[in-house]
Amino acid sequence: MNKFKKFFYSQKAAPYVFVLPFIISFLLFWIYPLCSTITMSFQDIKPTGTEWVGVSNFQKLLKDKTFHTAILNSFQYMVLTLVLLIPFPMFFAVLMDSRLVKAKGFWKACLYVPALTSVVISGTLFRLMFSEYPTGQMNVITTALGLGTFKWLKMKATGLGALLLVACWRWTGVNMLYFISGLKAIDTAMYEAADIDGATAWQKFRYVTIPLLKPTTVYVLTISVYAGLAMFMESYMLWAGPDSPNNIGLTIVGYLYKRGITKNQLGYGSAVGIVLLVIALAINIVQLVVNGTLGKEED
Amino acid sequence: MAETTSVKGKETGGMKAKRNILTVFSTALFAVLSFLIVYPLFAGLIASFRPGTELIRRGLSINLDFSTMTLNNYTYLFGNNVDGHKYFMWYKNSLILMLVTVFLTLLVCYIVAYGLTMYNYKLKNFLFFLVIATMMVPFEILILPLYKEMINLKLVDTIWGVMLPGICGASTIFFFRQYMSGLPKDLLDAGRIDGATEYGICFKIMMPITKPAFAAMAILCAMGSWNNVLWPMLVYRSAEKFTLPIGLNTLLTPYGNNYDVLIAGSMFGILPVFIIFLCFQRYFIEGMTAGAVKG
Amino acid sequence: MKKKVLATLLTAAMLATTLAGCGGGDAGSAPAADGGAAEEAPAADAGSDDGAAADDGAAEEAPADDAAAAEEEIPTATFGDPNGTHMEMWTFVEIHGQHYGNMVEKWNEQNPDRTIEITCTTYPYADMHTKLLTSLNAGTGAPDICDVEIGQFPNVVAGLDTWLVPQNDTAAPYLDTMVKARMDVYSGTDGNYYGIPYHVGATVMYYNLAALEEAGLSQADVDAVVTWDDYAALGEKYLEAIGRPEGKHWTSVDTAGCDWQWIAMAEYGEDWTGGMDGTANVQLESVKKMCTMEQEWVNSGLAMVSPDGHVDLEAGFQNILDHNIVSFPKAMWYMSRFTNYMPEEKGNWYIAKCPVFEAGQKCSVGIGGTGTVVTQQAVDKDLASEFLCWAKMSEEGEQLIWDNLGFDVCNTVLWNDDAFAHDDNNQYNQFFRNYPYDVLYSIKDDIGTVYTTAISPTINEQMCNVTLNDILENGMDVDEALQAAQDVVDLEQ
Repeated sequence: MNKFKKFFYSQKAAPYVFVLPFIISFLLFWIYPLCSTITMSFQDIKPTGTEWVGVSNFQKLLKDKTFHTAILNSFQYMVLTLVLLIPFPMFFAVLMDSRLVKAKGFWKACLYVPALTSVVISGTLFRLMFSEYPTGQMNVITTALGLGTFKWLKMKATGLGALLLVACWRWTGVNMLYFISGLKAIDTAMYEAADIDGATAWQKFRYVTIPLLKPTTVYVLTISVYAGLAMFMESYMLWAGPDSPNNIGLTIVGYLYKRGITKNQLGYGSAVGIVLLVIALAINIVQLVVNGTLGKEED
Repeated sequence: MAETTSVKGKETGGMKAKRNILTVFSTALFAVLSFLIVYPLFAGLIASFRPGTELIRRGLSINLDFSTMTLNNYTYLFGNNVDGHKYFMWYKNSLILMLVTVFLTLLVCYIVAYGLTMYNYKLKNFLFFLVIATMMVPFEILILPLYKEMINLKLVDTIWGVMLPGICGASTIFFFRQYMSGLPKDLLDAGRIDGATEYGICFKIMMPITKPAFAAMAILCAMGSWNNVLWPMLVYRSAEKFTLPIGLNTLLTPYGNNYDVLIAGSMFGILPVFIIFLCFQRYFIEGMTAGAVKG
Repeated sequence: MKKKVLATLLTAAMLATTLAGCGGGDAGSAPAADGGAAEEAPAADAGSDDGAAADDGAAEEAPADDAAAAEEEIPTATFGDPNGTHMEMWTFVEIHGQHYGNMVEKWNEQNPDRTIEITCTTYPYADMHTKLLTSLNAGTGAPDICDVEIGQFPNVVAGLDTWLVPQNDTAAPYLDTMVKARMDVYSGTDGNYYGIPYHVGATVMYYNLAALEEAGLSQADVDAVVTWDDYAALGEKYLEAIGRPEGKHWTSVDTAGCDWQWIAMAEYGEDWTGGMDGTANVQLESVKKMCTMEQEWVNSGLAMVSPDGHVDLEAGFQNILDHNIVSFPKAMWYMSRFTNYMPEEKGNWYIAKCPVFEAGQKCSVGIGGTGTVVTQQAVDKDLASEFLCWAKMSEEGEQLIWDNLGFDVCNTVLWNDDAFAHDDNNQYNQFFRNYPYDVLYSIKDDIGTVYTTAISPTINEQMCNVTLNDILENGMDVDEALQAAQDVVDLEQ
C-alpha cells in the first residue's frame, strides 16, 4: 500500500494522473462513439433488432437526392461564408487597428454582441424579419423600394441569403477580433521599414499585412470551414425545424439529425456522419499539405 | 502601428485633410455596420414591449410608438403564473448547468494541460496530438453514437449527460497549455525542494498564477454553456430540466407561438452573458483570440 | 481578484433568479415551479415531421391562448381512487389527459371492486414521442397508457406485441358500431389492433356563408355543389361578385399538408401507401388530377397558396379572419380551431360535404388522429386495456369526447342520435350555421381511408417539403414533380 502511495506521489506517475481525465474522456466520448459511428453505418438498427447490411447504407446515400441537396447546400454555405467572413472582417480589422476610427471600443462591442446570443434567439429574430407576410421587416424594405413582397424563406436564393446574413451577423465581429489580435502581433518595425522604402498603403497591406497575418487567416479559415460544414442550428431555427421548403435549408448535419434522431434510423444517420467525417478529414489533409505548419510546430 | 500610420511629423496640410476625410468615412462605416448589427436585437427589444399579437400583425419593426408599448410581457414573465414559473425554471436550470460546467471543465482542463506541459515523458507529445485530433472531428458527427451511449449509460436526461462529453474541451486544454508554457518551470523545483508533493505544486503553487487563463476560459465556457442548444436538446427529456434555449424553443409551436413570453424571455435571456461581457471584455477577447495568434 | 468578482456576480445572479422563481408562487414554490414544467405546448419540431396537417394530433389542444396558460395547471394530474390500481398515462395534449381524468371517476363508480388511479402527464409533442420510443426500446420507463399521434404511430407500432398490448378482445364489444377504417389505421402488420382512436377526422368543406351572402350567393348555391367543377364555378361567381380584389381568393391550397391529395385518393378509392403491405406509389391518377387542378386554380387566382403552407396555423387563422379565403376543405376537428382561435366568426360558417371529381364517388376521408395504446410495461394490462377501450369507445366516453374535445366520434350510432347530435348546448352546434353531425351522417358511407404505414412519413415529408412546393409555388409540371417524389419514395422501399 505504502509502495503504491509512494508511486502515486512520484514525479514519474504524476503526469499520468494529471492526464487521466483526458484519457478517460477521450476513450469514452471520442474513440468509442467514433468507432460506433463507423460500425453503425454498416448496420440497420430497428426496434426489433440490429442487422449487418454491409455498404448498403452508403449505396443508398449515393442514390439519395435529398442527401445530395444537403451536401450541396452545406458546401455552398461554407464557400460563401468563407468569401464573406474572411476578407471583410480582415478589412474591418485593419481599419480598426489604424488611427482612422474614433470610438473603437464602442464599435467593437457592438459588432461582438451577436456572438453572445443563442442561435435560438437570433434565429427567431431573423425568422420574423424574413417572414413572408407583408409586415415582415424585409418585405417592408422591399415594398418601400418598390420591389413588392417576397416569400424569403421559400426560395433557394433568398433562403441561402438569409442563412448567410445570420452567419455574417453573428461572426463578422468575432472574426474581426481574431484579425485584430493577429495584427497586434505583427512587428511595427516591418511597417517602418516599408515606409522607408516608400511603400504605398496598398503595397504595405499586400506585402506586409497579408503574409504576416497568415497564421490568423489559416486559423479563421479552418474554423470557418468546420463551422460551415457542420452548420445546422441556424437553419433549424430559421425554418423552425429540420424541414424547409424544397429542402433549401437542409444541411449535412440537418440530414443526420433528421435520419438519426427524428426518424430513429441510427444506421443511415451514421452513414451520413461518416461522409461528413471523410469530408472534414480530407479538408484537414489538404490544409496540412498546403500549409505544412501544424506538424512541425505542435510537436 | 498599422500600415495607414504615416511617418511621424511629416504630414502636410493636404494629407491631414485627406486623413480627416478618411477618419470620418471609416468611423461612419463602423457606425452603419454597428447599426445594422444591433438592429435585429433592438427591434426584438422593442417588440418585447408589445403584445405578441402585434408581432404577427405588424412584424418585427422599429416603431417607437410609445402608446402601444407596455411592460406587460415583462410583468407577466416575472409574475405568478405558469409561464413565469416555467421561464425561471429554465433560467435556473441554465444557470446551474453553466456554473457546474464552468467549474468542472476548467478544473479538468487545467489539470490535463498541467500534465501536458509541466513534465517531460514519453507519451507527452502523443497525448497532445490526441488532444489536437479531437478538434479535427466536428462534434456533430458524434451526436448519434453519443446519444445512444448516453441512453446505455443511463445518463440521458441528466446534467452529467449534457456536460461530460464536453468536459475535456480540446480548445480549453490548448489555451491552458499555451498559457502555462510561458510560466517559469523553476517554480516546480522550488516547490519540490520545499517539500510539496506534485499535486500540491499543481494546486497550490501553479494554479494561483494561472488565474488570468482561468478568467478568460471561464467566460468563454460560460457563454458556450449558456447558449448551447443541440446537445442539451437531445439529452434532456423532461420538461422540468430544460435549459433556457430549449425552453424558449418549446414556445414555438405550429399551433400558436407564445410570442409574449418568447421575445421578452429571449431579451432577458441575453442579459447575463451581456453583463459578463461588459465587465470582462478584455478576458473575453483574450480567450477568444488566443488560438488564432498562436495556433 | 477578477475571478472572485465573477464568482460573486454569478452567485448573485443565481440567487436572484432562484428567489424570483420562488417569490412568484406563494403557495409553495417548488410544486408551482414544477407545475409550469409540463404545461408545454408541443415543441417546435413537432411541426416539422408532421408539418402535414394530416396530423391533427398535436393540434387538438388550445394551451397557447394566454387565458388557459395563466391558470395554475398541474403537469401531472392524478385522478381516481388512491387505493386503486395505479396507472401512468402520457399525452401531448393536456385536455386529452383531462378526458381520462373524467372517465376514471366514472369507471370507479361503476366498478368499485376494480378501481383505478391514473396520473396523466403532458409532454411537448416531439418530446413525448421520443421519450416513449426510448423507453419502449429500453424495456423500462414507459407509461401504462399513452397517446400516440398518427404520424408517429408507425414508429411505435413497429414494436408490435413486444412493445404494445393488442386490443382485439377488449375492443370487440364496441367494434360493430365503430368506423372500421379508423380501427384499421391503428393496427400493426400482424393485423392486431394496437391503438384506440378518438375521432374519424372526416373531411368536409367549410364555407364562410356570411361572406358568400354578401356577394349575393346563398346556401342553396353551396348545397348545389357536387363536383369540383361546380365548386370552382361557384368560386368564380363569388370572385366576380366581389370584383376580384387583390389578395382575395376562393380557397387556399396547401404546400405543407396533403389533405387535398388525401381527399382525391379517397374519391377514387386509391391509396399511395399501397395499404398495409403494398408498395407505395404516389403517381396515382387521383393525385395527378388534384395537383393539376390546384395548380390551375393558383394560376387563375381562384386559389392562393396557404401562408406558411396550410390553414391550421396562426397565419391560416389570420387569413380566414381577414376573409382572404372563404372556403376550404378540412377535417371535422378543425371546428375547435374556430371556437378557440376565431371566435369572432361565430354564426358565419357553414359546413357541407366535400365536392367530388365524378358524381357518385366517396367524398370524405379520415384525416389525422391520435391512437391510444397500452404498453407491455403496464402494471395490469387487462385492466388498462379494458379501461382504455371503455373510456374511448363507450357512449359515455364518446359523449365527453364530443362535448369537450369537439371531435367527430367513431361510434356511428350516435351520429343521428338526436340528443347527442342536436344538443343546442354544445358549443360547436352553436357556432356553425348547421349541425355538424347532420353533415357527418349524410356522408356516413362515403368516408374513405388512406393508411398510415411505415412509408407514410417519407411520402408526407417529400410531398410537404418538395413536391407540393414545386407544383404550387414553382409551377413545375405535375408529372415531373410526382416522378421525382416517386424516386425518393422508391429509395426507401
